[in-house]
Amino acid sequence: MARTLIVGYGNPLRADDGLGWHAAQQLAERIERDDVAIVTCHQLTPELAEAVSQVDLAIFIDAACVGEPGTFRCEEIQPDSRAHVDFTHRFDTPALLACAQVLYGSCPRAVLCSIAAESFDLTEDLSNAVQAALPTLVRQVLALIA
Amino acid sequence: MARQITIEPVTRAEGHGKVTIFLDDDGYVRDAQFHVTQIRGFEKFCEGRPFYEMPSLMARICGICPVSHLVASAKACDQLMAVQIPETAEYLRRVMNLAQLIQSHALSFFHLASPDFLLGLDSDPATRNIFGLMQSHPNIARDGIMLRKFGQQIIELLGGKRIHPGWIVPGGVSEPLSVDKRDTILAMLPEAMAAIQRTLDWFKRTFDQYPEEIRTFANFPSLFMGLTNDKGELVHYEGRLRFVDATGKIVADQIEAEDYQKYIGEAVEPYSFLKFPYYKPMGYPEGIYRVGPLARLNLINFVGTPLADAEWAEFRELGRGAVLSSFHYHCARLIEILNGIERIEHILNKSDILDKNVRAYADPNRLEGVGISEAPRGTLIHHYRINEDGIITYANLIIATGHNNLAMNRGVLQVAKHFVKGDQLQEGMLNRVEAVIRAYDPCLSCSTHAVGQMPLHVELVNRDGRVVDELTR
Repeated sequence: MARTLIVGYGNPLRADDGLGWHAAQQLAERIERDDVAIVTCHQLTPELAEAVSQVDLAIFIDAACVGEPGTFRCEEIQPDSRAHVDFTHRFDTPALLACAQVLYGSCPRAVLCSIAAESFDLTEDLSNAVQAALPTLVRQVLALIA
Repeated sequence: MARQITIEPVTRAEGHGKVTIFLDDDGYVRDAQFHVTQIRGFEKFCEGRPFYEMPSLMARICGICPVSHLVASAKACDQLMAVQIPETAEYLRRVMNLAQLIQSHALSFFHLASPDFLLGLDSDPATRNIFGLMQSHPNIARDGIMLRKFGQQIIELLGGKRIHPGWIVPGGVSEPLSVDKRDTILAMLPEAMAAIQRTLDWFKRTFDQYPEEIRTFANFPSLFMGLTNDKGELVHYEGRLRFVDATGKIVADQIEAEDYQKYIGEAVEPYSFLKFPYYKPMGYPEGIYRVGPLARLNLINFVGTPLADAEWAEFRELGRGAVLSSFHYHCARLIEILNGIERIEHILNKSDILDKNVRAYADPNRLEGVGISEAPRGTLIHHYRINEDGIITYANLIIATGHNNLAMNRGVLQVAKHFVKGDQLQEGMLNRVEAVIRAYDPCLSCSTHAVGQMPLHVELVNRDGRVVDELTR
């Protein structure tokens, strides 16, 4: 059973929004542990909640749409069911954690690792700024699960 | 003074929509219109592309029901190639189509619609959502999430990914089913079956709480259209088109895909990018018809699986002839989930389901092809023409939500006339207007082939076009 879940999410066809997918791929090449699961998805949905509830640590990787492009951030996330839910099959991280807590009785420690995006154009390539910051993000995630 | 109310965008549905309600001088509802406000132009930009790209291209129309577009598009391409695909490939396409239907119906019922039933149509909109549902009815929320995940997992097992799998291709499917995958899916069935049976048992008991909504939610005579086979069975992949009237009488039957334009016309109105399909023999707008789960259960002779057949018999007691209230789309959706689970089990236990021969190969042999399937929301038509090099020269898509456009407009008017009083907007009124649209589970991204979300905006405008009241969320 995985004790850590890494979720890279975003749209891999929209430049820096694909950060989570690029990071997940690099992490998958470096991590060979049965207790770490890595998944990619376009957006966070309620279907992820059960898997989140079953781990000790959840690491979310996403592009940030604010901030100086290339800026890396790593922050602890708390559950919050007051998050934006009018489009009810897409969650943000606090809402997903709240869903795990309420429905499945457990919410892990959760961390959001992000890099401020420069571009959301139609391409599968990251911008130079985000590409340059990606190794920092990968190192940080590896340190979190060490 | 005559006034106008606009609801824009409508919430808990797929895509951008807007509702305008016109009031007369005395504050009574005079008319109502449901607008779809974007266009993407898939039919145009696919011109010039090779026909074999169509399934993958067209699947991008929607992130909720890409499999439906894959199926209809691949069927149209099969026609262009003039091939009969291997039987096992057809079984496997059916399984994926049913998995798509289950996950989409679960999303519609549990995530989008059930907060209205469980928390109340007049409850606080800030908590009338899936989080409110989780707090008040966690067991039902868990069942909903599980059923959606069940459908998504089957799609992922078969196609390699949950959204936009490329596994359904012209001529069949790209890869046969493995023993492990089959057994994994079979092992998931009992939990899904238990969840849908629990949900049906609960939901049927709630009907007496909503007599006014059942009476007024798009409850009117219309035609109903969908696919059925020559036995009149509930089908979602194969079969031919059938129309029945409000009494349940068949008015047209066994219509071949390539003949759809003899029966279906497409009108346009200046207030919406969504076309208004109609039954040609009756003309526009008299030829109003509905598609989707309610229509499918109204037009068949039987379902074809034992548990769903028992539910269907009970369902048909809700109306004389056809069941006319669009409120009952919700119940029809649950019965179709039940049928889908039964069907998947039946198909996966076929002796030749693991056959390795799952794809026919051919160059184009016809210059025109039409593929029709039943998407979760109703009948989906993909119609292509190609030149001799296999390049698309024409594409026409008629999407389930488009078929229902006339009926949604009439439903909005019926609900507005019943619930909207005077010129001051109230939340419960606004939610009921949305709820009647939600009953159809419209996918506006699909219907205009447009991307978007669907929050809500209501405007009250006088005869001169001046906004005199407004609500937004």
